[in-house]
Amino acid sequence: MGEPGAVWAVAVLPPVVAGLALGAAGWDSVLAARDAGRGRALRAAADPLREAARLLLRPPRTVAAADRLLLRAGVVLLPAVALLAAMVVPLGNAMVMDPAVGVVWFNAVEVAVWAAVWLVGWGSNSAFGLVGGYRFLAQGLAYELPHMFALTTVGLGAQSLRVGEIVQAQQGLWFVVWMPVAFAVYLLSVLAMAFWGPLAHPVADDAAGGAAVELSGPDRLFFLAGRYALLAVAAAFAVPLFLGGGAGPLLPAWAWSLVKTAVVLGGLVWAGRRFPVVRMDRFAEAAWTVLIPAVLVQMLVVGIAVL
Amino acid sequence: MGLISRLSCFAAGRPPFFVVTAAGGTAARLGVEAEARERGWRSVASPAACSVLVVCGEPGPDLEQAVERVWRQIPRPRALVRASVPGREHLITLLDRAEHELAAPDRRDSGDHAAEGHESGDEPGMADREADRDGLKLDVLHVQLGPVLADWPAGLVVRAVMQGDVVQRAEVATAEGTGRGSFWTEPWTAARTGDPVARGTAERRGAARSLDTLGRLLAVAGWDRMSAQARWLRDDLLADHPSERLTARFERLSDSVGRSRTLRWMLRDLGPVTAPPARLAGDAADRLHALLAEAGTAMGLLDDPTPLDPGNEAHDAPDTAPVSLLPDLLAGADLGAARLIVASLDPDLDRPAASATHG
Repeated sequence: MGEPGAVWAVAVLPPVVAGLALGAAGWDSVLAARDAGRGRALRAAADPLREAARLLLRPPRTVAAADRLLLRAGVVLLPAVALLAAMVVPLGNAMVMDPAVGVVWFNAVEVAVWAAVWLVGWGSNSAFGLVGGYRFLAQGLAYELPHMFALTTVGLGAQSLRVGEIVQAQQGLWFVVWMPVAFAVYLLSVLAMAFWGPLAHPVADDAAGGAAVELSGPDRLFFLAGRYALLAVAAAFAVPLFLGGGAGPLLPAWAWSLVKTAVVLGGLVWAGRRFPVVRMDRFAEAAWTVLIPAVLVQMLVVGIAVL
Repeated sequence: MGLISRLSCFAAGRPPFFVVTAAGGTAARLGVEAEARERGWRSVASPAACSVLVVCGEPGPDLEQAVERVWRQIPRPRALVRASVPGREHLITLLDRAEHELAAPDRRDSGDHAAEGHESGDEPGMADREADRDGLKLDVLHVQLGPVLADWPAGLVVRAVMQGDVVQRAEVATAEGTGRGSFWTEPWTAARTGDPVARGTAERRGAARSLDTLGRLLAVAGWDRMSAQARWLRDDLLADHPSERLTARFERLSDSVGRSRTLRWMLRDLGPVTAPPARLAGDAADRLHALLAEAGTAMGLLDDPTPLDPGNEAHDAPDTAPVSLLPDLLAGADLGAARLIVASLDPDLDRPAASATHG
């Protein structure tokens, strides 16, 4: 089913990821404008573009004794992670590559976000940046295990870690129907890995922007764009994992992939605004005592079903 | 008109702004926040992220120094707004000028009196090692919270000794007020001096004060959506919008915030207070509910025309109780919890005779 290595997929990947990231940022701006009671909230959709232009025209700010090399490495790592992870996400039937360990590739690449956020927080040489870095590491410890078990459940259900085969395995029934717990845990871990919405504590305003406290100019643009791209790519990966990939009536497969991705991404952005930030000193306990057992039970059910 | 200048024009719209409030600058801050909201300006929590630095009220020498240091670090194009007095017309002129300056980046900006030192002097003060709460030797950071910090009470400074993100010890200082009293207690002060004030007017101010505190607490709790709604309602209250629609909006807001399990989960057991006054009793979650109840009562009395009796409650007495509680409450809290504790107490340091040092 998959058509790995299609040349056009390589060319299309960056603009599609950028488009989805921009769409998510614009949608969030519109919702924010509506909540603040501003007239013509729809106009706020252009705010991310405006912010991008503003950041491009600004010199980066320099901070005494900042570790610029580490800071830049972290800043560039975020969008790089998003693009590398997107290589195994199919658009319809086409994807850049479809290795036998596609799911593992996604997971391995996405863990580099830990390094990215820590490097940025540490490199800015500010107490707030450091606190943001600590917060992301704590968050990683809380979400990564449930996230991996959710991915494993999907692999178990499809009897394969190849993304193309996972999509094929859902031709009769989408995985979301009989793996709802794994789906919910996956969506939560999407917010966590993109440190977005209720899981945005590493860059929260109470620590003056946390890991991003000193970022300005193009550094900030890369960091923020990378974060939205990560959110978009991780949301898009939910489509082949749980929502039948490009399957659907009338429209071509690539269009169904985009429609489903837009629904998941838009829903995440909408839902993310409806909760306060959760702090890891409280959430980590719930992640280990509730999420991990829940997703393990899910895995057990799936395991018995495929026997 | 070249591409760059056209891009600058586009980029200058709806700039992100960072607010610094001096003691006594509350009225100016409220004016700026309302006007900026109308224009679609976005408030940000870090000076590095802002294009416009807004200084509300009249900063004393210490704050002025901090403002200049922060200003030097903001990359161009940038604009400095000094909103020393409230007044809508005045603020409109100031914000217009800032937008204009950002769109024409070639010109020298208004705050260019300071020398061009781009390096910041703000690096964390690394002292030495101390045993932490588990007895491990860990690096100690000296971190000052305030006076330049978003969603932070004006005039409050907390000098914290931190290990990792945990506050080990905290010293609290307050800036000298202007001595002119607090914006929030004006109706009660006026009634005391014999001016006729309707009860409804005072309740409107009281409700706006509760919503300001609520907006700040929710912002610190990372709930932008509800924080924005609380501040919008506060602005409409202060702009004397008719009470019926405001009451309905408040009910919805109060329901969503009061019923949020996640928020209660995050606020529970933070900063427990047993001593009076009653409105501070309990943990941060209890204080949130007391705040909602207080605002709800005030919202029901917005149209009360009876004259205000200033004598029954000490509304303009010094608000020293929260400040004296802070050092004990903050010790052992992590930064996130410490910020929530301060926001849930939200001392009004503009009231007279509130200046003192505790530690």
